[in-house]
This record gives sequence, C-alpha cells and structure tokens, in this order.
Amino acid sequence: MIPLAENFFFQLLAGSLLLGSLLLAIAWSVVATRKRLQEQRFLVDRINSILPQTQCGRCGHPGCRPYARAIATGEAINRCPPGGDSTIRLLALLLNEARVPLDPAHGEIEPARVAVIREAECIGCTKCIVACPVDAIIGAAKRMHTVIASECTGCDLCIEPCPVDCIDLVERDAAPRYWSLSGLASPAATANREALDGEPCHD
Amino acid sequence: MKQRLFSSSPMQFFPLQTSQIMLLVILATLPAMLVSTWFFGYGVVLNVLFASLIGLLCEAAICRIRGRAVRATLADNSCLLTAVLFGMTIPPGTTWWLIAMGMVFAIALVKHAYGGLGQNTFNPAMAGYLFLLLAYPLDMTSWHLPVAAQDFTSTHSPLGWQGLLQSLGCLFPFLPVLGDGLTVDGLAMATPLIESKLAAGNAIRAAMEEGYGLFARRAETGWELVNVAWLLGGLFLLATRLISWHIPLSMIAATLVMSLLYYSPSAAAVLGTPYLHLLGSATMMGAFFIATDPVSAATGSRAKIAYGLIIGVSLYSIRVWGSYLDAVAIAVLFGNFCAPLLDRLLAPRKYGHPGFFAKLLGNISRRKIT
Amino acid sequence: MIRQAFTDLFARLGSTTRRGIRPPTLRESSLRSRIMPTPMPDQLLLPLQDYADPLAREHDRIAPCVDVGDWVAKYQLLAKGKEPGSLRLHAPTSGTVQAIEQIPAAAIGQRPQLAIRLLTDTDERELPLEPPSDYRALAPEQLVQLIEEAGICGLGGAGYPTARKIRDAVEKNVKTLIINGVECEPYISCDEALLRERASLTVKGAELLQAACLADDCVIVIDNAMPAARKALTLALQGSSISLRVVHRRYPAGDERQLVKAICRREVPGEGHPPDVGVLVQNIGTAVAVYEAIVHAKPCISRIVTLTGSALLTPKNFDVPIGTPVQHLLKLCGVDDKEHEFTIRGGSLMGQYLLEQSAPIEKTTNCIIASNSLEIPEWETEQACIRCGYCAQACPAQLQPQQLLASIRSEERQQTLALGLDDCIECGACAVVCPSRIPLVSYYRAAKEIHREEFTSHEQSRHWQARFQYHQYRLKKNQDRAQPRKAVEQTVKEAQGFSRDQARMEISAAVERVRRRRQALAGGKDPGQEKSQ
Repeated sequence: MIPLAENFFFQLLAGSLLLGSLLLAIAWSVVATRKRLQEQRFLVDRINSILPQTQCGRCGHPGCRPYARAIATGEAINRCPPGGDSTIRLLALLLNEARVPLDPAHGEIEPARVAVIREAECIGCTKCIVACPVDAIIGAAKRMHTVIASECTGCDLCIEPCPVDCIDLVERDAAPRYWSLSGLASPAATANREALDGEPCHD
Repeated sequence: MKQRLFSSSPMQFFPLQTSQIMLLVILATLPAMLVSTWFFGYGVVLNVLFASLIGLLCEAAICRIRGRAVRATLADNSCLLTAVLFGMTIPPGTTWWLIAMGMVFAIALVKHAYGGLGQNTFNPAMAGYLFLLLAYPLDMTSWHLPVAAQDFTSTHSPLGWQGLLQSLGCLFPFLPVLGDGLTVDGLAMATPLIESKLAAGNAIRAAMEEGYGLFARRAETGWELVNVAWLLGGLFLLATRLISWHIPLSMIAATLVMSLLYYSPSAAAVLGTPYLHLLGSATMMGAFFIATDPVSAATGSRAKIAYGLIIGVSLYSIRVWGSYLDAVAIAVLFGNFCAPLLDRLLAPRKYGHPGFFAKLLGNISRRKIT
Repeated sequence: MIRQAFTDLFARLGSTTRRGIRPPTLRESSLRSRIMPTPMPDQLLLPLQDYADPLAREHDRIAPCVDVGDWVAKYQLLAKGKEPGSLRLHAPTSGTVQAIEQIPAAAIGQRPQLAIRLLTDTDERELPLEPPSDYRALAPEQLVQLIEEAGICGLGGAGYPTARKIRDAVEKNVKTLIINGVECEPYISCDEALLRERASLTVKGAELLQAACLADDCVIVIDNAMPAARKALTLALQGSSISLRVVHRRYPAGDERQLVKAICRREVPGEGHPPDVGVLVQNIGTAVAVYEAIVHAKPCISRIVTLTGSALLTPKNFDVPIGTPVQHLLKLCGVDDKEHEFTIRGGSLMGQYLLEQSAPIEKTTNCIIASNSLEIPEWETEQACIRCGYCAQACPAQLQPQQLLASIRSEERQQTLALGLDDCIECGACAVVCPSRIPLVSYYRAAKEIHREEFTSHEQSRHWQARFQYHQYRLKKNQDRAQPRKAVEQTVKEAQGFSRDQARMEISAAVERVRRRRQALAGGKDPGQEKSQ
C-alpha cells in the first residue's frame, strides 16, 4: 500500500489546484495593480500631486508643474516652502531620495497665510487680479478689488504688482493641535521611547 | 491639584506586564526541563544557565553601546526567555564556546541589530541555533550525555554527583577530567527522531507492554515524555490565554495531515508515523513555544493560521526530504520570512467594512477587477 | 452561575468572538444612596458650544439671545443656533446674566468656548409651562418639534441634537429603536441610578421616542451587572410592547455600534451611522428628558451626574442643573483635600483630566471622579511593543492597534488609513490591556489630527490646482478670442493719436498723488490742504 500522497490521482488533483490558484492569484494581482497605477502613469503627475499647488514661484520655477517636471529630471526636492516638511518627506518617499531640510535660499517654513486688500487704499487698477494664479481676487477696472479668502493660496504674487501697496499677507486660522506625538507622555517616558527608537519622535 | 505625568485617557490598565508574560512562559517550560533532566542528566539545565549568563552579559554590553537603559532592557526578561529556548534546543553536552557564539549571534545580531525587543524579524533562539547548525553540524547533531544516562544498566543515576560532574565536563572541556576518571564518549544519538524512526515504534506503548514504568530510564520513553511535558506547558499557556490557539493548532494539524498523507506501514521506517512526527520529535516545543513567539510571528487570526500551516508543511518536508534531521528551527525561520506578507494579505476584517470574500463577490457581480 | 465562573476565568480579555475587556464596575459606592437633588450654586456657567465636537462648524454654534444684565426666568430660552434642529439652551433657574464670556478649555482637546454666567436668584421664579393636553394625540413631527424646542441632546456623552438625529432616522426609515442603558465604563453609575428610581419614566420616554421616530420595535438594553435596575425595569415594562435585553457587561458594550451588532446582528458601515442599517440608538437619560419635554413641557435643564472617587467622603449621584461648577458638587460630597490630587470628567477609560475646578457641568458630563494616585496610579513607562496581539483581541472595531502604531510611527499615512484609523472610537480598550503600557489612544488622537490637517491641505491643493488650470484655460481662451479684436483696437488707437507714454505719465502722476497723501496722513497734516494744492 502506497501512501495517499503518492497516489497518482491525488497528486494530479492537488497539483492542479495549487498551480491553478497560484496562476489565478498572479493574474489577478497583475491586472489589479495595472488598473490602480493607470491614474498616475507619469512620474511628473505623481510629483505634481504632492506639491501644494500654490503656484507661488518661490522654487524658482513659474508654477508647481514646471517644478515637478524639474524634479523628475533630477532637481532638488527641498525647494518648496509652502509645502513644508511633509512635502519633502512625501517626495523623498516617492523618489527614494534622502530627506533634507528646506533650502533656506528659497524661503522658510511659514504658517498658512492669506492675502487681504485694504480696501480704503485700493485704486482699482486690476494689476493684482491679473497676477493671481488661481483667480482669487474679484473686481474690475476702477471697481473695488477684494480677495476671496477661501480661494487664496497665500502665494504673494499679488503683493508686488500693486502700485499702492495695499495688500497684506496675514496668517490663516488653523485648527489647533491638542495632541502631538512628541508630547505624549512624561519626559521619562519620552526619554525611554527615544532610547527605544534611537531618535526623537517628531510630529 | 497635582499635575499628572500623563494627560490622556485611559487612566487604568490591567496589571499584567511584559516581563511577567516572559516569566510565565519560562515557567511553562519547567515541566519539559524537569523531564529532560530526569532522563538525560543535567546537560539541559547547565546549558540553559550558561546561555542565560552569556545572554544577559551580552545584552548589557549592547545596551551600553547603544546608550540605552541597561536595567530596563534586562528587566523585561526577553533575553532570559531566548536563553531558555536556545538552551533547550541545542543538545546537552555542547561546549561552552559554542553556546556563547550562538547566544551572542542571537542577542546581538538577530535581536539588537534589528532594533531590540519587538523589532526582530526572526526568532533569535532559532536563528542562533541555525547558525550553529550550519557552522558546526557535527557538534549540533551529537548528544553528549553522562555515562549513566547512556547505559541503562548502569547503577549510577544521571542525576547523581558523577552525572553532574560529567555534564560540567562536557560544557567546559578545559577543566581537568572530573569524576571517577570515566571519559565521556560522544554518543552519536543523532537525533531522537531518527532513533525512533528507525525503531518505527511507540516507545510508551512498548514500555507499558514490557512492564516498565513510564519514567523508568530503561524504557526509552524519554523523548516522548519530554514532548508530553512540552505539550503540558503549552496547554498551560493556552489556558492562561498568554498565547492564542491558532498557531499551535494549525502547525500541529498541518504536520499531522502531511504525515497522514504520506503514511503507509511500509514507508514508516523511512518517513515515520504521524505519532512520531508529533510526539517523537521537537514538534510540541516548536508549536507552543517557538512558533508562537509574538514578535516574529504573524499577528492577525487568519494570518496566524496560515503561518502555522506554512510552518507545519515545511517542517514535514524538510524532515522527510531534506538533509536536516529535526527541522523546527528552519521551518520557523521560513515562517518568519512569510509573516509580514501574511499579515498584509490576511489582515482581519474591520468592523463595518466588507471582508475579502465579500468584496471579491461584490466585484465579480459588478464585473470589476478591484 | 457556571457561566459566570467560566466568563470570570477568561476575565482578562474578551473571547475572539466577543471583543472588549472586563474592567471592574467600581460603582457600588456611588449607588448606596438615592439620587440627591443639588442645592443651587450662586453662579451658573452655561456653555454655548454645540455638541462635544471640537471641530464643530462655525454656523452650528449656538448664539445667545439674551444680553448682559437681563433677568431671566427658569426655563427661559437663553441661546439657540441658526440651523434648523440645532441645540437650545434654557435657564436652569432664574437669575441675572452677569456676563457672556470666553471660558478656558476645561480639558485637553476642548476649545475655549463662550459661556453665559448667570447669577442665580435665591428664590427662583419660573416661566409657566404649557404641556400639551393630550400628548398621546400628537403627531410624530410635533413630538420631534417639542424635543427640538426643549434643547435635548444625546445625554450619553456625544451630545448630538436629538431632534436632528430623529429626523435623519425617519428619513432613513429606521425600524428598530434601541434605548441604551448599558453602563460599561468603570465608576459611572448615573444610568443605573436613573433606572433604579425612574424606570417608569424611562419606559414612557422610550414609547414617545418610538412614536416620534416611527420605529416598529423598541428594545431597552441593560447590562448584566445592574440587577436592581433590571427588576425595576421589568416591573415598569409590564403591559408595554417594549422588550428588554440584557448584554454581558463588556467594555465598550455601551458603544452604539457594538449594541447594533449585539442586538440587531448587523454592522454599522464604516463611515455611516446606525440609521443606515435601520436602527436608532438613544440613551436612557435622553428618553427621560424626552418624557419630561413632551408630557410636562420641561426643557432639558438638568442631568444625573455621578460623583465618585476615593477623595470623596460620600460618593453619590446627583440631579445637577446644567452649568453647576464642579467644585460646588465636590464640596457637597465632602472632598478630602489631602486625598484629592486630580479630577477626571467622565469615566476612567474615556474621561479627561479636568484642568479647571470651576468648569461647569455640561449636558454631556456624566461623571466626575475626584481621586489620587493610590486609587488610579500613574501610567507606567512605555516599553517596546512585543506584538502580543492582546490589543487586537480587545479592539471593538476589529482593528489591529499594533499595526496602527507601527504605521503611525513610521509615518506611513496611506497604510494608517487603510488599517482603519478613522474607525477607531478611542475607547481605550487597547491601551488598557497593553502589557508594554503603550498609550495607544494618544497615538491615534495625534495621528488623527495630523491626518486631518494633511487631508485638508491635500484637498485644498487639489482645489487650487483645479482653479489654476481653469485660470490657464481662461487666459488661453481670451487670448485666442482677443487676437482679431486687438488688431482692430490697435488701428483705432493709432488713428485717435493715443500715446502709450502719455498714459504712463498719467498713471504715475496718480500714484504720486496717492503716495503724497499717505505721507501727509502719516505726518499728521490735513489731507484737505493737500488736495487743494
């Protein structure tokens, strides 16, 4: 009597089941992955979706998409001040590069800001309307101009063209942060966690 | 109003601590240690003690190097547990420098180089054992037992003073010849499994038929009783809910099914009977103590079952068709490789979300792929 | 009895099919006496924040409709919101509005909010109430209207406006109404006390709620650790069509999602609410408030609060007017200052440390614990996660807390969301069982904040990108259209003798005028003089 597993029919059945399910799993995962990646086939699109889309030009390029194109051809990833640390981190993850601090030559990390026109001084020249990359300023020639705060990106492209210098950049109200990863426990506990991880927890 | 150190809910916790969990697991290995000592002498105990010593020293040194709190790290008892499992895996009578090499490899390279407790991908005890097995195969496959343990007709007991001295002599061969001048031969007891396989029998039943007591050393029931002791320890862990039943059950079930599939009386001499695969080798220890090591095993319930199945199948195949005699360590390490992937693929279903099969059926009915 | 012994054997963790933990009830001391009425304090601080959501939308806030210095009678409307169905605030007693001011946040995670400070009269005068002549004849929508006018919100802790909840439920055709009397958190005993003494009111309120939400069935659920309440409720339910169910007291069995699964055997979808599966869940406190509002036209001005903890000489339950400062209640219970180290608002598993003793009792406050480190020891030092998986066994939302922790620490945002960070109800069961004392819930709260910020900024970026793309499209379109027109304009201008330089000169003259005017203003000169020059 031979063991069951050496029976020809058993081997045929088991083998075909295993092989069949393996092939099915491979085929399914290939198709699923291709579908998922279809949306962002091009690297430039993926980079652009990480950038904050303020179109401010502080990176040295006239907008976010040109900078994304430059990054795709090798430019440094730390030139976007409005994006801040989280943009650099995501770009570093995407491109498998080192995470570096923001290049100070291109600006500093600042809180979110919004432009406000001092309406008493506005002369209705429409220069700021033309300059705004997201059309967040409404107005017309010799009519009052005003900034739609919810659409303003804080890119400060309208500050320069204004001949009477009546636009201010003020800080936006942000939702407060009550819990921070680094302030989770007592100093003793945090020290232990730093000792456990080898590096301080950051937000 | 005193300022509390920690400012968030919940404010209460259950009293069980990590160090206590480790201690309870070590406690659960005691039956096996006692039975093993009864049959095979002090070798196992000495191994465990020496491995613990080396492990603690090594971990203290590593903590110093890494700039961590030495006392806190040693106090979580994980090094002790590694040492106990390692010491019980390697054959009794192993020389001291082999044990030291294995433990340093396990603690320094497998555990701390990966980040310390909770970060190691591989089971440190098994990785240490495998390292020694690959580098010193002969030493790892021969058991050096005191003469009294080898010779069942001897009037000495392996637990006597002579037995202790002889075991110490195996551990530290640089010491002058101890005891009454008898040199200890290396018994090529390649592995109990092979011995039993060749015997193709059930030692306990044979012992009962021949009228020996179960614990009589002449009855050669030693290895099977050690396995029963491991099983008892494992059941203790299950009863106190320190481990969950998924991994042991699936691993034992996989081994059982494989050995049943390949069982035939004529092939038993080579392939072994299911009984022997479960109780005549290190399967029980592997199922309850080694594969369930939480750090390197899979975490979700379904992933755990798959993990146990993979280990069981690879265990049988390496034993039967591979060139290693008892393959628990290799099978568990293979499972460790697969554990992160299993966790990802077989993640448990979240409340309020459809599970894998529900999603699959939904997609099929809507003719979509994802 | 055997079942009890069996479940006690596995007391530490829920089984794999029933999740949760079994902490001790710790509520015997506060249930020894009956619910005490509260003597009115000198001042009441009535907060104006609409339900306990720190991110409540601006227009959902409720605004006061009285001014500083006004005298208000008991039951008078003090504040309401602009949206239909928003909360209302009524005066718990008569008095003068001393101030409408910002009060500091009482606990971490709460914003500073506006509150009405009411100086109470010694003799209270109430507005005459007009209860309906036959409340049984009222239509469901009228019932809901009365509930809305009484300012009732979910008194179980979330504080969602009840009227809005019922209207949503009616839209979604709920079939089952669950009245939640399960009290699973340690220390809290207000629901049990309510059931012991006011069971018949609860039942009547449940019937009214059932009529209001047009449900086919109504179930009152309690846990198996309140035998006296069960007896009272069984008595009160005689002759009623409402059924009683008892569930094992597991924390967090009182969470509405767990109840829906336990009672109706359905799971509330991830981002949905119980009405999506045809169930409405209300707390028993809310049911009693509904009864008072419909039958006696009394608005929601008080609630039962448990005062407990080892620093109190006589822990008990109080019937507290909304807005009572916590220290007033503590004095009533006889707080031992030597023993009193800190105060917790809520239970010991989901509560918060109270930063200000003068904080008021709000509509969502169910318990105040005055305690010390002997009774509730400090959290121990956090150690490495050993991936033991006890947290995953305890999690009622069936998440994997240890994987969440790993992905939060390594900042993998996608993975964290895929693991279900948004499904976490922050019950704390995972942190309670963790042998390595990892404060898991704090990690999730911090991570949720980070995710919320990043999600908002990501959404904003996409929005700006869309606007920018439209901006580019618009320019291109205008350019294409303007080409022929520009050519014509140029010829016309040239024909009229228009000079670009002259235009420039006029503009710079205008700019110069503005600059001089601004300098004059800065120098203090009269701009009228400037103009006439």
